[in-house]
Amino acid sequence: MAINLKPVDVAVVGLGAAGGVAVLPLARAGLKVAGIEAGTWMDPSKDFKPDEIHNNVRSLVTTVPKAKNEIPTFRTSPDAKARQAAAHPMMNAVGGTSIHYHAQSWRLKPWDFKTRSETIKRYGVNLLPKGSTLEDWPVSYDELEQYYDIVEHEVGVSGKAGNIQGKIDPAGNVYEGPRSREYPMPPLRTCDFLDHMHKAAQSLGWKPFHAPSAINSQPYHGRPACAYHGYCDRGGCQVRAKNSTCFTTIPEAQKTKNLTVFDGAQVTRIVADNNGKVTGVSYIRDGKEYFQPAKVVLVSSYTYENTRLLLLSKSKAYPNGLSNNHGQVGKHYFGHWDAQAGVGVTALFPFDVNTWYGAMLSQGVVVDEWADDTFDHSGLGFIGGASMSTYMEKHPIAAASMATFGRAPAWGSAWKKFVHENAGRFTGAYLQTNSFPYENTYLDLDPEVKDPLGDPVCRVTSGPKENETRAATYAQNKMEEWFRAAGAIEVIKGQPFGPALSTHTYGGTRMGDNPETNVVDRWGFSHEAPNLGMLGGSVFGTSGARNPTLTMQALAWRTADHLAKNWKTIA
Amino acid sequence: MPDDISRRAVIVSAALVPVAALAQQPTPASTPSALSDPQLRLLAAIVDRIIPKDDLGPSASECDVPVYINRALADYLAGEKPAFIEGLEATDALAHRTHNVAFIDLSPEQRDAVLTSMDNGTADGFPNARGFFNRARRLAMEGMFGDPYYGGNKNFAGWDLIKYPGPRMATTAADQRMGVDISPYHHSAYGSSGNGAPGGEHGH
Repeated sequence: MAINLKPVDVAVVGLGAAGGVAVLPLARAGLKVAGIEAGTWMDPSKDFKPDEIHNNVRSLVTTVPKAKNEIPTFRTSPDAKARQAAAHPMMNAVGGTSIHYHAQSWRLKPWDFKTRSETIKRYGVNLLPKGSTLEDWPVSYDELEQYYDIVEHEVGVSGKAGNIQGKIDPAGNVYEGPRSREYPMPPLRTCDFLDHMHKAAQSLGWKPFHAPSAINSQPYHGRPACAYHGYCDRGGCQVRAKNSTCFTTIPEAQKTKNLTVFDGAQVTRIVADNNGKVTGVSYIRDGKEYFQPAKVVLVSSYTYENTRLLLLSKSKAYPNGLSNNHGQVGKHYFGHWDAQAGVGVTALFPFDVNTWYGAMLSQGVVVDEWADDTFDHSGLGFIGGASMSTYMEKHPIAAASMATFGRAPAWGSAWKKFVHENAGRFTGAYLQTNSFPYENTYLDLDPEVKDPLGDPVCRVTSGPKENETRAATYAQNKMEEWFRAAGAIEVIKGQPFGPALSTHTYGGTRMGDNPETNVVDRWGFSHEAPNLGMLGGSVFGTSGARNPTLTMQALAWRTADHLAKNWKTIA
Repeated sequence: MPDDISRRAVIVSAALVPVAALAQQPTPASTPSALSDPQLRLLAAIVDRIIPKDDLGPSASECDVPVYINRALADYLAGEKPAFIEGLEATDALAHRTHNVAFIDLSPEQRDAVLTSMDNGTADGFPNARGFFNRARRLAMEGMFGDPYYGGNKNFAGWDLIKYPGPRMATTAADQRMGVDISPYHHSAYGSSGNGAPGGEHGH
């Protein structure tokens, strides 16, 4: 028998990048919030280390029991049997994936929010990706701008503006949408290799700039600046210079006394009454079952769990899963065509680039010339493109395992000689391709594979996509051009194969005005269950050519703010 | 960004490194052995062809790579131990079939020939030869180039081989210069050199 808890105003399911931000405006508005998180608090001094075996080889920061037990299955066609992947791409903890992410904090482009109508307007309907279910977002960049601005300042983002209210500054990204003011901190520091890549891009007539990141370039809100030690990837920050929500918005919300954090609490169902309103959430903590009554529920776990939790939460009002009476939960899912999808480029230089230390892609130089709709796509046969990032931070085991570019065998004395000379001379580039939803790509529940509680895991079906393959290949060629201009003597381009499980995933509870094709409305609330809100990448309709976190956080703040301002109507 | 700002920021960061992060025990308590002495000798013979002793430095076994693998198979990789031992035994059986002696009794050239047949998938009667060889090679890389805390990379010889300057809690733009040798900082992330903690000071 479940233990009934004291009712709260809002139950937030998952305190990661999105939920961890949403709790702050709610708590400040005086609403009583229960933050229910499957993971636990992590201790920077004990859990985070400059150690490749700990972070990368054994994934000890990111591998936690819940995610491990719920690894989705994957297949590339509805006729195939889906197989469980080796690892879950995400983690559970207070702060969630904002603990180990690279902290690149991008705004999407105005074009990303209205890709469909802009494509039809500029190129005609024929250039829309075949088989896609692309719609314009119900939110424009201009509407979201104020929330981007709030989050950049609350969380703390380092960067250089390229467009302040229409005034263009070539030191920043000249292709970004207009912003109301400068970033709260300058970009992370530059260094020799980044300056070298910056010059090479300029020699091609491109407009390179430093990446925006939620890592402090200066002391900010009582936390120190980045120390550039080079173990940002898959690790947390020992000095708390990375602005994970467990160091920023969550403690800030706790100060109001309106947020109670329940960690180690795994939500199993969202409960709805016969009228279709949600009444709270059931969770398991230390083997005991609890029911947390709430007037409003915001679901902010990862994309896979957002869909899974709704599909598992069946009731009289929702026989096919919560908010799924239109059959849209799990639809319009897609992954980002990035390095995890084979869209990588690696270069060998005849000199030492010394990229050992740094802060991954947050200490990076980026080119946006070949992303989004920055260039003319007439006659190219695809829309979109990719942002291209060069970066710092390289770990020794990965470096010694480098490609030998056909110049040496993979072991023995000749190999030793090769890595002795070249481990410091190669680097990679990170390309993120504009990716879209398709009919052949969706989430549902696996018919066979279950977690230890007996609940089916999420199943990913992801079919081939011509548009993204072409866009990624086009951008890879541009990246090769950039590396060659910088003096690279060898360049290897990955074979884009499309995303399997990914840390950049979207859709499943897409946001849109039409309830026939979308799960949530323009504010992030369910078209069917009025007091249920969805946060995170699961509401996105396009990916953009850049990391999603800041946009998730801006949308989370906006949904929470809308809830606080319309409390009586929604609750 | 002006240099003085970033330098000041680094100093602030370094000062805030929690003491607990710097004061952990140098090496983990010894763990039970996963492999027998003959298995360890065979493993050493294999990884010493992957990373041989030559004019660029010591061999894998001289850097305690087998110690790393043995320790990993006894704890973190315990689930993999039976398959790994099976692979070792199959490698020895392959040496017997092709050369009529144990792997450790082969000449270096003969060892290379056996391992090459495994690497390129032509080893008769050893269907998983390539999988085992790749796994052994991967674990050798972890033992050679991972933090010495885990038992390998003795005297930081792996890091010196590839000129990785070592983990530091804070670095400056000078540590990210191109075309200059960055002085190696021979410290484990866990302070195992006995010369102090990884941070606070720099190797140059």
